[in-house]
Amino acid sequence: MFNNLYTAIKQTLTRELKRMTSRPIYFISTIVIMTFSYVFFLTFFNEGQPNKMPVGVVDLDNSSVSRQFIRNLEVMQHSHIVMRLNSHKEAREEMQRGNIYAFVEISRNFAKEAVSNRRPPITFYINDGYLIAGSLISKDITYLSMVTSIGMQQKVLRAKGVEESRIMGILQPVVLDTHLIGNPWANYGTYLLNVILPGVLQLMVLMMTVFPIGVEYKERTSKEWLANSGNSMFAALTGKLLPYTVIFTTLGIIGNLLLYKYMHYPLNSGIGWMFLATFLLVLASQTIGIVFIGITPVLRDGVTFAGLYGMLGVTFAGSTFPIEQMPAGSRIFSEFFPIHHYFNIYVNQALNGVGIHYSLLSFVALLSFTVLPLIVFNRLKKAAINQNFPIK
Amino acid sequence: MKASSIVKDILNVIKSEFKTLFKDRGVVIMLVLAPLAYPVLYCSLYRSETLIDVPVAAVDCSRSKESRELLRHIDATQNIQIVSRYSTLTEAKQAYYEKKVHGVVYIPADFSKKLQSGDQTTVSIYADISSFMYYRIINQACNNCVMALNQQVQVERLNANGITGESAAIISNPIPYEGITLYNEGAGFASFLMPAILIIILFQTLFLGIGMIAGTSRGENRFHVLVSSAVHRGGTFRVIIGKSTCYFLLYAAWSFFILMLIPRAFNLPHIGIPFDILMLLIPFLLASIFFSMTVSVFLPHRETGMVIFMFMSLILVFLSGVSWPQSNINGFWKAFAWIFPSTSGVQAYIKINTLGADLHHITFEYMSLWVQTAIYFATTCWAYYWQINKTKNNLLKQSEV
Repeated sequence: MFNNLYTAIKQTLTRELKRMTSRPIYFISTIVIMTFSYVFFLTFFNEGQPNKMPVGVVDLDNSSVSRQFIRNLEVMQHSHIVMRLNSHKEAREEMQRGNIYAFVEISRNFAKEAVSNRRPPITFYINDGYLIAGSLISKDITYLSMVTSIGMQQKVLRAKGVEESRIMGILQPVVLDTHLIGNPWANYGTYLLNVILPGVLQLMVLMMTVFPIGVEYKERTSKEWLANSGNSMFAALTGKLLPYTVIFTTLGIIGNLLLYKYMHYPLNSGIGWMFLATFLLVLASQTIGIVFIGITPVLRDGVTFAGLYGMLGVTFAGSTFPIEQMPAGSRIFSEFFPIHHYFNIYVNQALNGVGIHYSLLSFVALLSFTVLPLIVFNRLKKAAINQNFPIK
Repeated sequence: MKASSIVKDILNVIKSEFKTLFKDRGVVIMLVLAPLAYPVLYCSLYRSETLIDVPVAAVDCSRSKESRELLRHIDATQNIQIVSRYSTLTEAKQAYYEKKVHGVVYIPADFSKKLQSGDQTTVSIYADISSFMYYRIINQACNNCVMALNQQVQVERLNANGITGESAAIISNPIPYEGITLYNEGAGFASFLMPAILIIILFQTLFLGIGMIAGTSRGENRFHVLVSSAVHRGGTFRVIIGKSTCYFLLYAAWSFFILMLIPRAFNLPHIGIPFDILMLLIPFLLASIFFSMTVSVFLPHRETGMVIFMFMSLILVFLSGVSWPQSNINGFWKAFAWIFPSTSGVQAYIKINTLGADLHHITFEYMSLWVQTAIYFATTCWAYYWQINKTKNNLLKQSEV
């Protein structure tokens, strides 16, 4: 019995390996696309955080005080002054053109009013239409304003004869000290790539599960496929999908190595757990793929559903926008996406570095996806023999 | 006579294209269902724009009137809510690891003592960064509360040092900074990301749909070519004009729904002039259609495009330069991004729709789209010509046999 199964799987495997070399799509959808994605995302976010973004200045005062403020702004991490403008209108239009993400406006007679204690305002305009650029620059400017204020206040208090040791206590009684758990540098790449790369991986696994199976039905070779594996649907599926399990797990692990070893993104647990999570992500995505093609053994529908589902996966991982803040029901829905559980494991292990028992449920959830194909076994088998589905 | 026959041919192509389109379930899903359902789905998921009442733990080692008041203020913000209190940081961390809370506010034991003695004290927050939204919201809410407290304490301390009235006010706030957030006042996540997603949805469904249609005709045709001779009767030009008109008409309708109605229905920014959006749509759709038609010629089967290019949706979102700012994309990827009409489409749409720019503000994107229209029209002609010739040659060969 076991011997039979072994031969059946081996035969199917040999057959599949031959098929894989017959068309370029097999090579492109596995190695080429994953390699391209790694190269793309790693070179795209290599800066970590967007630094030195373009900012404009409308300095209507042009005094030593206003120039000092502008010089200070120039050295901030996220901002780079690219243009000086003559009016508010001009600056606004540059913002609408997308040439600057923010501008600072210093009113006429700013220095004069400041000296005579009339407290002239400095106004800054931030374009939050580009939220990430906007909030980073806004952080810079807020910090700078605070520091400038404190500088001026110190001078005044010293002049008033306040004791030096008391000055900071007066100016900033409470200091807020922010710690980012696991990603202290607020690296944008760390935050995104740990979701996006597995996201691409699960999408391609889904596609390359639905396609190799569906194409048998489409090209009416499904009978031969099943016969070749001794009429065992289990052997037929295992032998067929095994090469993809190996290829995608390898590619996924290469991805892990790139993120944690090459880019040195936070890894507070053993890397082995991430390897295991990656392997299970591949396995779970494959079984979901089997379900898709099992529901309708029609290649075009399978590919369409797998694609739409795979794209939703990136959203339901829960990184871009927290799932608990989405409409009711999304939480339950997200459980049906393997990448959601993968993301939980990543947060627990790589990011927070807590004990593995915290991730146990997620590992179990990923594993439990693998029983799903049982629902469609019969249907796939019948369809393979009868070949009674449309091929288009 | 000649002109009328050309028009008749074109109308025939349009008619037959619409027929194939609506007869094919896969194409209907991609070109009809997806562009209608996806925008609604995504907008619904991101509807809350910002985070409300994020659960946070408090560790109040000071247990004083002052610390309780600060925590009350933090709890009262719209964005975060103190759901549990612990006596040590270790306990709070435990709650964090169990995902009961997404942040911890820690107030040290000497907090009130230092406040009373006029020294500087520290409040620490620990924020979840598994999603940037958590970190941003928690940091912002705590920062605002601490700043308000600072202002109050400052005045008290100045008074204690004999500085009162207007001069205390001047010292506590010598340069009033006024930060004005434009175009997305609530710093909403959907308002920021959805306009880009909408354009990408238009582009990708169009691209994958056209790829599917072309792949199908190649797969079904006897000679594995794109256009069966029964339809085109020799006129490359007529086939291209006919087909693209069909897609254009369909997508003009979807664009109205996606770019005009969706932002209004879901309260996304929409301060652009409708006429400008219309003017932008023409080259955007044409460039996208011809780009898709060119690539589609090389897809051998109907599924090929889906399998190979679905993942590009993710890449296109980043290439469009909306999350990672365009100014910080390196030269190579910027040039690569330009190839896709979606990049200029996203930028132009955001500038008009969200930032209220006029057409003359987006000259670069607008011209780019027209240049792309011209280039991709030429490549489409070349690719179709090549395909149609292939049919002819095949037919010729067959008649020789």
